[in-house]
Amino acid sequence: MNLGATLAKTGSRVVLVDADIGLRNLDLVLGLEKRIVFDLVEVVEERCQLRQALIRDKRFESLFLLPASQTRDKDAVSEEQFAAVVDQAAETADYVLVDSPAGIEAGFRNAVAGANEAIVVTTPEVSAIRDADRVIGKLSDRGLPVRLIVNRLRPEMVHSGDMLSVDDVCEVLGVELLGIVPDDEEIIDTTNRGEPLALDDSKRLTAIYQKIVRRLEGELVPFTTFDNGYRQGLFGRLFAGLRAG
Amino acid sequence: MHVLSQTGEAVAAPEERVTTGETTKLGRAIVVTSGKGGVGKTTTTANLGTALAQRGARVALIDADVGLRNLDIVLGLENRVQHHLLDVLEETATIDDALVPDKHSEGLFLLAAAQAREKDEVDTEKMRALVASLRERFDYVIIDSPAGIEKGFKNAVAGAQEAIVVCTPEVSSVRDVDRVVGLLGNRFRPQLVINRVRPQLVKKGTMLSVEDVDAFLRLPLLGVIADEPQIIVTTNRGEPLALQRDGKTAAAYHAIAARVAGEDVPPPQVELPKPTLFQRLFRGGRA
Ligand SMILES: Nc1ncnc2c1ncn2[C@@H]1O[C@H](COP(=O)(O)OP(=O)(O)OP(=O)(O)O)[C@@H](O)[C@H]1O
Ligand SMILES: Nc1ncnc2c1ncn2[C@@H]1O[C@H](COP(=O)(O)OP(=O)(O)OP(=O)(O)O)[C@@H](O)[C@H]1O
Ligand SMILES: [Mg+2]
Ligand SMILES: [Mg+2]
Repeated sequence: MNLGATLAKTGSRVVLVDADIGLRNLDLVLGLEKRIVFDLVEVVEERCQLRQALIRDKRFESLFLLPASQTRDKDAVSEEQFAAVVDQAAETADYVLVDSPAGIEAGFRNAVAGANEAIVVTTPEVSAIRDADRVIGKLSDRGLPVRLIVNRLRPEMVHSGDMLSVDDVCEVLGVELLGIVPDDEEIIDTTNRGEPLALDDSKRLTAIYQKIVRRLEGELVPFTTFDNGYRQGLFGRLFAGLRAG
Repeated sequence: MHVLSQTGEAVAAPEERVTTGETTKLGRAIVVTSGKGGVGKTTTTANLGTALAQRGARVALIDADVGLRNLDIVLGLENRVQHHLLDVLEETATIDDALVPDKHSEGLFLLAAAQAREKDEVDTEKMRALVASLRERFDYVIIDSPAGIEKGFKNAVAGAQEAIVVCTPEVSSVRDVDRVVGLLGNRFRPQLVINRVRPQLVKKGTMLSVEDVDAFLRLPLLGVIADEPQIIVTTNRGEPLALQRDGKTAAAYHAIAARVAGEDVPPPQVELPKPTLFQRLFRGGRA
């Protein structure tokens, strides 16, 4: 949601596809839940055109949402059908961002079916990293290039040795880092209100998503180093440099 | 061996059943689920299991998140897992071989999920039978469901008679729980745990309050857990917070365990700021 809005704000045409059929959320965090007329399953079943189902986010003009159906199963759509919808959306958009459901079941397979790149989001926690590792394996098997966003980092906990550092996470997962998003209550507030961060430049995290978007567009943007101290890592190793941004 | 102080009739004397093998009274099978990912199902399962075992109950935890197992890590048992759920379902290992005794709590056992397998490989009927057979030997069989409402969720629910639904005070999580409760129907008498509450944010009006969530979902409230950095620390260490005897959050887990056991514990203490986000939930939430 925040990547999509930030991309759209810089002029790209973006279609967000909610692949979480049965548990749609993307409409809610974008504040577009009341404008849904048709959904993805109806597009697949040819009960409406793709353009009829796309909701334009009036705040960004070039941001569109293809909502998930809340009353259907993920099995209602096949991988081929899903890929066809994504391909069709891609014809008119610079970016199609597909929001995958949790897990590695049919919903996940659908979500990756039409994609040619993947962004894996993990938190710096042992259990999340192990899940991410399994997902990265599956994406690599499909030949998708994978980049990583480490979300909900708490620098003070990294500093006290209570949380894995971004370096630790990258070392375990061995994929290119796309961004680091700190744990910040701004996310809770803005998602509850349905207001993407890109609407408000005074927010702390707005700049963070802007940097991620620049990296996505191919620019080399350095990760901010805000701590050069060392600490005893959770793996019992010495460690230097804690990064964010 | 131990005295159960609770008054609820739901709990039978466990030794009887275990030593004689008689099915005098079956244990309770409870699925922990949420729809939404990452809201704290596994954390709740591990801590509730620990707290119940600390009360003297015999507890089996089943990790139904085949392919993405986590419960073994949270309990610090990942190095002790030899056999997993699918081995038992496919009869390449016995239940006794596969049940891993917990390091910290006597009476607590884990049936781990397989990391390298898929949820589609689980036979729902065999899962139901496995839970039924565990109910003969344990006071509680607690099943940690994966996120979502796909096959993994259906497998996790098969065999359970009760459900604990976990949500965070966020509109998307609350909506997912609403959907899951709809799917579960009346049979499971779902009870709610609200996790990761941050009272300062509720006061500021940026987070839904317990009352907001409660008013929308209208489910019996089993407990409220604060957003607690110690949870991340204890999870990484493989030592559930409920092992600790003091601290507010540990106490909250023990209160949940007592309530599950049928004790009449006073309702969770929560502050009552004015519900500002409440409106949006009602307008947009129920689609
Ligand atoms: N950087 C952050 N800081 C604080 N809270 C966050 C952050 N990122 C996400 N959250 C919170 O965590 C919750 C889960 O986030 P989100 O809904 O994006 O996860 P998800 O991976 O899409 O979940 P699901 O697997 O259910 O689809 C959100 O409601 C949000 O408020
Ligand atoms: N009360 C809490 N306070 C702070 N952090 C928490 C709390 N509850 C859970 N967490 C953190 O949130 C993360 C997600 O929790 P958990 O793994 O229990 O969720 P889950 O619902 O089982 O996720 P999944 O859907 O992936 O199975 C954990 O790594 C944990 O450290
Ligand atoms: Mg999601
Ligand atoms: Mg889990």
